[in-house]
Amino acid sequence: MSRIGVFICHCGENISRTVDVERVAAEVGKLPGVAFATDYKYMCSDPGQGLLKKAIREERLSHVVVAACSPRMHEKTFRKAVESAGLNPFLCEMANIREHCSWVHQDRKEATVKAIELVGMMVERVKKNRVLPTITVPVTKRALVIGGGIAGIQAALDIADAGYEVILVEREPSIGGHMAQLSETFPTLDCSQCIMTPKMVDVANHPRIRLYTYAEIERVEGYIGNFQVTVRRKARSVIEEKCTGCGVCMEKCPVKKIPNKFDQNLGMRPAIYVPFPQAVPNTPVIDRENCIKFKTGKCGVCRKVCGPGAVDYEQEDRLIVEPVGAIVVATGFDLYSIEEKPKGSPIKGYGEFGHGRIPDVIDGMTFERLASASGPTGGKILRPSDGREPKQIVFIQCVGSRAREKGISYCSKICCMYTAKHTMLYHHKVHDGQAYVFFMDARTPGKNYDEFWRRSIEEEEAVYIRGMVSRLYQKGDKIVVMGSDIAVGVQVEIEADMVVLATAVQPQKGADALAQKLGISYDKYNFYSEAHAKLRPVECATAGIYLAGACQGPKDIPDTVSQASAAAAKVIILFARDQLEREPIVARVREAGCVGCFYCKKVCPYGAVEEKEIRDRQGNLVKVVAYVNPGVCGGCGTCQATCPSKSVELDGYTDEQIVAMIEAL
Amino acid sequence: MLLSSETMDVSFVRKVEALSGTSVRRCFQCGKCSAGCPMATFMEHPPNRVVRLLQLGQWQRILAGRSIWYCASCETCSTRCPNKVHLSSIMDALRKLSWDDEGPSKESYVQLANKLFLQNIRTYGRQYELRLAAVFNVKSGQFLKDLMLGPKLITKGKLKMFHKKNKNMTEIEKIFSRIDEMRKNGEAL
Repeated sequence: MSRIGVFICHCGENISRTVDVERVAAEVGKLPGVAFATDYKYMCSDPGQGLLKKAIREERLSHVVVAACSPRMHEKTFRKAVESAGLNPFLCEMANIREHCSWVHQDRKEATVKAIELVGMMVERVKKNRVLPTITVPVTKRALVIGGGIAGIQAALDIADAGYEVILVEREPSIGGHMAQLSETFPTLDCSQCIMTPKMVDVANHPRIRLYTYAEIERVEGYIGNFQVTVRRKARSVIEEKCTGCGVCMEKCPVKKIPNKFDQNLGMRPAIYVPFPQAVPNTPVIDRENCIKFKTGKCGVCRKVCGPGAVDYEQEDRLIVEPVGAIVVATGFDLYSIEEKPKGSPIKGYGEFGHGRIPDVIDGMTFERLASASGPTGGKILRPSDGREPKQIVFIQCVGSRAREKGISYCSKICCMYTAKHTMLYHHKVHDGQAYVFFMDARTPGKNYDEFWRRSIEEEEAVYIRGMVSRLYQKGDKIVVMGSDIAVGVQVEIEADMVVLATAVQPQKGADALAQKLGISYDKYNFYSEAHAKLRPVECATAGIYLAGACQGPKDIPDTVSQASAAAAKVIILFARDQLEREPIVARVREAGCVGCFYCKKVCPYGAVEEKEIRDRQGNLVKVVAYVNPGVCGGCGTCQATCPSKSVELDGYTDEQIVAMIEAL
Repeated sequence: MLLSSETMDVSFVRKVEALSGTSVRRCFQCGKCSAGCPMATFMEHPPNRVVRLLQLGQWQRILAGRSIWYCASCETCSTRCPNKVHLSSIMDALRKLSWDDEGPSKESYVQLANKLFLQNIRTYGRQYELRLAAVFNVKSGQFLKDLMLGPKLITKGKLKMFHKKNKNMTEIEKIFSRIDEMRKNGEAL
């Protein structure tokens, strides 16, 4: 006969306000098998847990039901407490009388009756719980970092410095990401290249970092501690081991006028190229779409001039399988454009700003390339249309961001600060020019941030005008900006030479496809979701996968670096153990009943079902049955629902238990 | 309002900043000055907007209006400003610049009243209210303005029929001539 203890929590007033907890305790105490029932104000608190442990010992309890909040919140807490009192933790179950009862009901009487039934069901279920031993799985102490921007670089360096091997995968030919494109960085105005390139070199030289550039994630299998990642190394057409980075191929390439994406298409590059001179690795890549050799079969100049013979036109994509224990996702961001979007897209463009057809209306990143010493203009701020220096320049904040009508309602977080920085860079470079900024709010939380913004106004003489711009149009060689100053309450018109739009930060294109490969969740904008917004901000809900940087949400460099180091710390914590303990809530196959149809294998999202041969003593094959690998099983129960012969069951959720719960009603 | 380097008169703003000794650019338009100003209801540009117009170099709009003359110089704004903008000094500077410009303000009687007020003090060493009122009415062409208040004030002893000169006229004259001199040398407003 079981001796079940039931512990009912008031949750402060959250539960006791609507549910008569004392009555629940009294009623539940009468149920067969219940040896002890009590209530307490905060069951999860130290005295609450003490009460539970004491009762287990003194009342010699065999099972425990805690009626409180959702098991998502405190199941672990109570199972730990039960374990420390000497019971198997899986003999403890939770009845959710907060989210499922007190929070959703108003009538005290009815809610109390419902709470009694919820607890009664759990009592019946827990009676049939088995003692489950903890499952341990080995940990592969190598990490995969996806994305070679500042987030990926920082995470890779931190993990590698802790002594573990890291595989860093970058989609572009060079690491560096967006930070390598920036001119100077707020709030200290240090040159981005100067602080970025040494870190890039550190990555390249680190003995424990293996760098795959021009590569993408093809497939991810496995689970925490034991992932198998397939990386597609795209054909570079240049053999990295042979190339010395002399650059003769780029000089001799006859195709020279291809817009360089790194320079926001303002500068030109050849068909065999490195995106920027400080690229890591300094190995060129052939852009097969624009290369004459690949288009017509003629040319082949680069192979002829290459001394070490590194150019290889026949190179093909290679697939490499890497076993890793943890994954850091740091795929970064992309910028919104005001261009017209395809019909049916949830995101819209700005017709009122000319849909990107006015040549001197540029975005913030283009301004960064113009202001950068290594940019296409050598750091001179010039108009893309005629190369003149703009004397009246207008910056517009919140373009795309905080614009529900355009499909994005979040704040992009970095624009206020980088626009303030832009006005300063402009003032430093064009002394007789005037900068205007149209803004709705200036959001500058951060160390030395507000001071920086105020400096752009008070010392660098930018004129900030509170109010959104309604329309932009070309008039001669000027762009007329129609806005309003809401502090004065008048319409404002400026004939500008150049307009810079602080466009919204969006996730990298293809972020959703990668998330599906990884099995992590993402929000409606395709930003990756953290496990808990406050308390687990760098972990995914999927164990063993961590987030760093702007792929999770708009972030500036200091925040990105902090999060990358935090993600690295999480990986290091994981690697500090040789074996992982995991929840033993897994499916088990009743081999006698299994007919080997393997429907379960087809539906299993974790790939945990294997085929197992059963042989007699003579070694003759009797039948093939399903076997669930307990290390891989995620405990979702899909196999149980699918099995036509009812031969697979999830521990703690067996048919017998579910039926018992229904019968208790 | 067309904004450009030409339409924004930064030199005027610099003058105001020099006269008032406070930064105009520093104001971030929180509106606390207007929230506490006892005269704001009478102004067409409440105090925060006066500063905002200055920031945009639109001083003509300020001087054309009466806001700066309604300011009572109570200094509530300056005391409460979270950002250390001394708004009452800015108001003083604006009134001074308006005076120098021979009053683009529509409220030119204010200037007349101010002038007569100071003249009286220079002549008598203290205020001679009856004369001030009489001369003001004559010069402003409003002969009967507030005439009926006169007898009441006289019977209550608030308005003296005859003046009494200050004993230290030489000292007072010294003050005035010294300010004149300082103005000539650009040492005073």
